[in-house]
Amino acid sequence: MSAEETEAAWNRLTLSPDQFRRASSRYRRRRGSAAYLFILPYFIPFLAFLVVPVFWSIWLSFNKGGILDSPHFVGLQNWREIAGDTELTGSIKNTAIYAVEAILLVFTLALLLALLLNRYRKGSNVFKLALYVPLLAPAVLVGLIWQFVTNYDFGLFNLILTSLGFGRVNIFGNGTLALLTIVFAEVWRGLGFWTLYFLASLQSVPEELLDAARVDGAKGVQRFRRVTIPMLRPMLLFAAVIAIIANFQVFDTVYVLTQGGPYQSTSTLVWFIWKRLFQFQQTGQGYAAAVLLLGIILVLTAISFWLLGSRRRHERAA
Amino acid sequence: MADILIKHLVKRFGKVEAVSDVSLRIADGEFVVLLGPSGCGKSTILRAVAGLEDADSGEIVIGGRLVNFIDPVKRNVAMVFQNYALYPHMTVFKNIAFPLQIAKRPKDEIDRAVRRAAGILALEELLHRYPGQLSGGQRQRVALARAIVREPDAFLMDEPLSNLDAQLRIQTRLELIQLHARLGITTMYVTHDQVEAMTMGHRIAVMSNGVLQQIGTPQDVYRRPANVFVATFLGAPPMNLIDGALESADGAWRVRAQDADVLLSTDVLSTPELEQEIAGHSDVKLGLRPEHIRIGEAGQGGIPGRVRFLEPVGSDLYLTVEAAGTTVQVRTDPDSPAQPDDAVTLHFDPWRVHVFGADGHNLRRDAPPVGSETPLVQAAS
Amino acid sequence: MAAPGAALDDFGGAEAHADYAGAARRNRGFRAGKSVASYLVLVLFALIAVGPFVYLLSPSLRQSYELFTYPPQWIPHTVYWGNFGRVLHETSYYRWGLNTFIFATAVTLITLVLDTLAGYAFARLRFAGRTALFALVISTLMIPTAAIIAPLYIMISRLPAWTHAGVNTYLGLILPMVCSPLGVFMMRQFISTLPEGLVEAARLDGASEFQIFRRIVLPLIKPAIVVLGIFTFMMQWVNFLWPLVITTTDSMKTLTVGVASLQGQFVTDWGVISAAAVMTMAPVIVVFLIFQRWFVQASMAGALKQ
Repeated sequence: MSAEETEAAWNRLTLSPDQFRRASSRYRRRRGSAAYLFILPYFIPFLAFLVVPVFWSIWLSFNKGGILDSPHFVGLQNWREIAGDTELTGSIKNTAIYAVEAILLVFTLALLLALLLNRYRKGSNVFKLALYVPLLAPAVLVGLIWQFVTNYDFGLFNLILTSLGFGRVNIFGNGTLALLTIVFAEVWRGLGFWTLYFLASLQSVPEELLDAARVDGAKGVQRFRRVTIPMLRPMLLFAAVIAIIANFQVFDTVYVLTQGGPYQSTSTLVWFIWKRLFQFQQTGQGYAAAVLLLGIILVLTAISFWLLGSRRRHERAA
Repeated sequence: MADILIKHLVKRFGKVEAVSDVSLRIADGEFVVLLGPSGCGKSTILRAVAGLEDADSGEIVIGGRLVNFIDPVKRNVAMVFQNYALYPHMTVFKNIAFPLQIAKRPKDEIDRAVRRAAGILALEELLHRYPGQLSGGQRQRVALARAIVREPDAFLMDEPLSNLDAQLRIQTRLELIQLHARLGITTMYVTHDQVEAMTMGHRIAVMSNGVLQQIGTPQDVYRRPANVFVATFLGAPPMNLIDGALESADGAWRVRAQDADVLLSTDVLSTPELEQEIAGHSDVKLGLRPEHIRIGEAGQGGIPGRVRFLEPVGSDLYLTVEAAGTTVQVRTDPDSPAQPDDAVTLHFDPWRVHVFGADGHNLRRDAPPVGSETPLVQAAS
Repeated sequence: MAAPGAALDDFGGAEAHADYAGAARRNRGFRAGKSVASYLVLVLFALIAVGPFVYLLSPSLRQSYELFTYPPQWIPHTVYWGNFGRVLHETSYYRWGLNTFIFATAVTLITLVLDTLAGYAFARLRFAGRTALFALVISTLMIPTAAIIAPLYIMISRLPAWTHAGVNTYLGLILPMVCSPLGVFMMRQFISTLPEGLVEAARLDGASEFQIFRRIVLPLIKPAIVVLGIFTFMMQWVNFLWPLVITTTDSMKTLTVGVASLQGQFVTDWGVISAAAVMTMAPVIVVFLIFQRWFVQASMAGALKQ
């Protein structure tokens, strides 16, 4: 009997559920603690220089002063001030116009160049390298370089105009032209990046799909419209998202090329923030505008993630 | 050297219970195969023993020591992974030496141990190669060498052969059997391949949906499957199942199915619960292995049927026959004259038959006696 | 040259009695014209991309007053090297270069250490709060520096003296730039692609989490480290807003801020400004040409992070 009893009893548990739970959580804690050591070095600066400043920024928007002296609470006054500030609304409008123009232009050109590079592979490496070079230049330097293109007296553009028999144009005297110059400078700088991005996207379209379409009798243009574009759509959407977010922060070229002028016609949102905070010491308005920028970026991000998400849901359902 | 006890192991992933109350005892030096379809929880058990997963409840005891809350390395088990998990940036030597280097053993001892392990697995020539320069079989042997160099109490192998091609798999299977015979280390081996399980395991634990279905020697499990799942999972082609009704008949039992009426003696079915089973619902399934069916010409008695397909596999011929209201697979002589659409009759010895109750459990008391040539009951039809 | 496959599809639907030879000839002519046009477009844009850099050389090699001569001189009669000398002697150019190097290198090295450690933990370790903390990191991906620049400035300028960080210090310049969420995200994604078995095998072999990181993971993610390294360095090399705000003395400026300040200092002295621009771009272009493959990957990593 006893042999059978031991036989039946080998799988009896030695720990009560309570003991098991306690030992288990102790064990997991001990093993998990190593992980915290791995993330701690990152999280200290992350919390100090990214998370805390976000909330600090929001708090500051209800204060005045603070950069050189200590801040004092003013409630919603900053927000009321910037709400009626035509320079701010103008800056946001300029930023939006700039972003739309720059993105449309750079995407169109980049997509065209990517298609050409994808089709004509011979020597494409040289072209890729050439297109990439402007990306190495800091935006500040791009601004300087564009001075040499757009200068009234000796700029390349005006030299070409005069040699063709036209008169010179004072580009920086005209708000629309000045903003366009910033658009062109940023497009020039970003073209290589977006070309390479679209090229990579094009090359990620599975060759089998195109072959299948070919077998099904689809011609070149049809294949592009019916296979390539739908396959590229998520990447295009994603590209648009990061391009909008990046371009909403345009500042360096404004600083070097126009300083927001003439008559604030090239003042952008970040330019406005910087000027109020560090040039005019109208910190309260700068704080509020900074939070506004944060809000705009967050809304744009949320919309785009929602778009990407609904697309994925749609695809999964299909 | 150690035995392994798994007691009432439960592991959940979110809401899914991957392992449900599995208990398993593996003797010192035993080779136990965990067999089941993918996702049945067999790998999870292995990983819980290794310490790569934490059990939600239940205890794991290795060599008399409760290891649930002990770091993987201190459990002193070695694992061989399906894709070998060799460190790609280290030579074969360094791969094998890695566990010893981590344990800070003296250099000459490491050297000796690595060479011994390499010797056992015939890797001496490859010690300075990188994993990327090795064939699949060689990588497999390096993974084994890295496992044995630590002299572990137990081996845990997670589908170690599934990445090899068919030929190499058979060869490595034999090598693994020899390696186990030579080292005698307790081994848990996970696979979904029934041939590996049948040829390598001292015992086979068959799993499905996180539940241990049956554990026993390969012969036990094959000859007396505990339930419909085990019966159909083991064997190729799988066991045939014919729906029927169970009745008691003059101190014996009888299963009626379409075109078939099988009398079974109390030697085959004699459990006292059987009366209740019949009282409950008499629906049963008649189980018959394809190799236990003989083909006869039409009109010879037996179950009438019609041949649908022929699948010659060289050594055997598989026939798909429409009979008894279902399709029945028959394994027969490759020289059989059967042709598609032939009318045939199916014959079998009633003592070979398994009867599965409504809940899928095998109602047979014992496995059919080995080597018994005398039919216990004559077929009646 | 069109790919053979591309040529095929134009004939795919052709009728059996079509004049193949004639069609092919006409087609070839059309195709050649198309590809010449395509190459012209590519060449045009390549020139637009590189042209301004070349054009920049011209004023840097001339006296500034020569810029205003008419008709314009594209190629200087006599090469004038004086602009470069003036950049070196009349500005803190050396110091700006050094500052940029120190700033970008330090940010890169610190970022690499922090991000690989955190990326490994998020990819391969299990701990309470992992999902929530990673979500927090991701949610900060898009936060613009401009939106938090005021608190950053206030924080750095008020740090106590013993920290050696503050306005016009290297630490003050470097510290707020070392917590890029993108790097953590990239490292986590990359480490997630390593076979899970490698880490588990090492764990069973007795390696501690740090040993696994140091001896298994790090050697295997070298490509990702190079990519993230170049990416981070480039980001700081072009960084303008933060250095502009946190450096006020000439000797602490970075190249971007320094060169931008030349505009005010040498109002019409375009020769000097162009010389400084040339001097700033030349080394980068050389480095780029040597490591071009990595540069392209690095800039793509910033975008194709999904």
